[in-house]
Amino acid sequence: MIIRPRWADFKVIGLYTGKVIIGVGILMVIPLTTSLLFGEWNSAIDFLIGIGACLVFGLGLEVLCQTPKNMAWGHGLVVVSFSWLMATVLGAIPHYLSGHFSSYLDAMFDVMSGYTTTGLYLLQDLDHVSHGLNMWRHVLTFAGGQGIIVIALTFLFQGTAGAYKIYVGEGKDERLLPNVIQTARAIWLVSLAYLVVGSFFLWISGMLLGLGPLRSFLHAIWIFMSAWSTGGFAPQSYNSIYYHSLLYEVITVPIFVIGSFNFALHWAVWTGEKREIYRNIEIISFFTTVAIALLLATAGLMKLGVYPDIAILFRKMFYQVVSAHTTTGLGTIYSRTFVRQWGTFSMLGIILAMAIGASACSTGGGFKGLRMGIIFKAVIQDVRRLISPESARIVEKWHHISTRLLDDATVRIAMLIVLSYVGIYALGTVIGVYYGYDLVQAMFDAVSAGSNTGLSCGVVSPTMPTLMKVVYIFEMWAGRLEFMSLFALAGYFVALIRGR
Amino acid sequence: MILCRVKKEISRVRLWRPAVASLLAITLVFSLILGPAMGQASGQKILLNPDFPIPGRETPNGTEVNSASLVENANAWDGRIITFTGEAIGEAMARGKMAWIHLNDDAYMWKNIEEGAQLGGYNSGHAVWVLTDLAKKIRFFGDFKHEGDVVKIVGTFNAACPQHGGDMDIHASTLEIVRVGHPVHHVINTPRAMIAWVLLILALILYRFRIIIRRRHAF
Repeated sequence: MIIRPRWADFKVIGLYTGKVIIGVGILMVIPLTTSLLFGEWNSAIDFLIGIGACLVFGLGLEVLCQTPKNMAWGHGLVVVSFSWLMATVLGAIPHYLSGHFSSYLDAMFDVMSGYTTTGLYLLQDLDHVSHGLNMWRHVLTFAGGQGIIVIALTFLFQGTAGAYKIYVGEGKDERLLPNVIQTARAIWLVSLAYLVVGSFFLWISGMLLGLGPLRSFLHAIWIFMSAWSTGGFAPQSYNSIYYHSLLYEVITVPIFVIGSFNFALHWAVWTGEKREIYRNIEIISFFTTVAIALLLATAGLMKLGVYPDIAILFRKMFYQVVSAHTTTGLGTIYSRTFVRQWGTFSMLGIILAMAIGASACSTGGGFKGLRMGIIFKAVIQDVRRLISPESARIVEKWHHISTRLLDDATVRIAMLIVLSYVGIYALGTVIGVYYGYDLVQAMFDAVSAGSNTGLSCGVVSPTMPTLMKVVYIFEMWAGRLEFMSLFALAGYFVALIRGR
Repeated sequence: MILCRVKKEISRVRLWRPAVASLLAITLVFSLILGPAMGQASGQKILLNPDFPIPGRETPNGTEVNSASLVENANAWDGRIITFTGEAIGEAMARGKMAWIHLNDDAYMWKNIEEGAQLGGYNSGHAVWVLTDLAKKIRFFGDFKHEGDVVKIVGTFNAACPQHGGDMDIHASTLEIVRVGHPVHHVINTPRAMIAWVLLILALILYRFRIIIRRRHAF
């Protein structure tokens, strides 16, 4: 029997959603300050409206939904999916008011893309937007990478009751420390420490490349936020092409590779477990699948003779493949270059890289290396079982922070999530083909959206059909939250209608 | 002690074994199967996109071309001398005697959104490698507060420039300012400022309410 949610359940959901939305409003203080510092008054007003709307909505929910009821697992998951939706609706206010979007849906597309660290955008005339709006785009992606729930847990939650339930809902289930709020703070500590170091190197290199000190500083912060969060946004429409620099590429690649690693792995290394780097199943899986994607892309590019020599080919191909595999989406080639120069075979290599994606409990998307490793081990286990005597007990182990025995439940969950990803990739592809796009191109952008990568071959544009925008928003949202929260939200709707 | 270290090393090697084995297997497959297959497939080319201008064999020097055509039919334009016109955006990045500039030939080339232009899609343009002395002629670069100079250049187009790590670029030999840019005048939007204040006052009232309610409930 399905139990219909009671008013008290909605109160719990409303109370915690309110807290998260207040967090989004507080985040807008950063771009507001940027706009004020650069004298961008209209942009500042847009952020004040955004802050006001978030605070009114969030505080309004808190006033209306005070309840002594404790949060259950179902509540936690619904809070996450619902608050991500509301954060997108309200976070899009400054975007829309900037006048750079055709519709509010387009503004929401960009905000969802930011939160989910995708990097696809529908913003028009990016090269003339304010520093404030550029700051907001990148703060969105930085905050989204760590998780907006993690932010709320870090700053707005006083007790730990129920905290773990909404933390898990955001696609993160690793506890770095025994207390989940301490875990959230540890995630921020790791990210902020890297922010300082990474931005400093990018700032210096930017000045060496001919950028002025102030613009170099802003670009450094934005590109770091984008690379670390495996986002893909950039302050100029040329993305990483703008810098024309091997040095910038050499600095950004390690940032997005490290950013794509599991926070638990970071924490283990920070706390002295350096062996974890080469023992971890995700790292082994990552380097293996990167090698396969590199080989595919190389084969495609060599076949077409796109680049004049092997060193140049490797430089271009390596950056795009690693950017795709870490689901970053920064690129040193034009979007249409994938179609017009790289060709279908290389694009398949990139699609494979994007589909597999980064590590679990990281800023990245895709199937995740952990699941690929588990499925690979399960296949090996089954093959061994087939060729062994019936009485033999075949044991397979996998190492992620600790060494564990591979059991059917773990494999089942990994397969379920991977199949769900395949489902959303297929959905986006089918819709794209329905609207007349080429199959491979439709698949490229659909996988990019679903895996939160952000590379595009030109399908995503402000003029694409509205339904495709909606489907891509759904893909980004579902892919980032790894489905469980969405299933819970859908279950809530079903319970509302059919429950007793 | 030494035995312990050796044991550790062995276990490390064991863990590396699957990764190394799979890499070797991939290399083997690649060299034995994909290599010859690639040889058979070589010579295939991407067809020209007829929706965009394609240079004829006897294209005269300095053919005027837009950025979309260059990207869509990059290989056909490779090595050609072209004329390209666009709004200078961002800044000139000087690298010694040469500099990088970026010219946008999109819908915002003559008037940008901040000045009230209609929405016209994404930005599009090209990177240009030019003498720093020529780049210094540009007074305004387009950004939030400026409409950039519109610049016309003549130069050689490279689909994958060997000098610049395979970047698609134009090596310009001449640069001419077609229109001088200007600062953009932003008028403060008073009605929006009023809405912002109303929302913030409302938020303050709700905050006060929240304190009272939380005190009353004292969960």
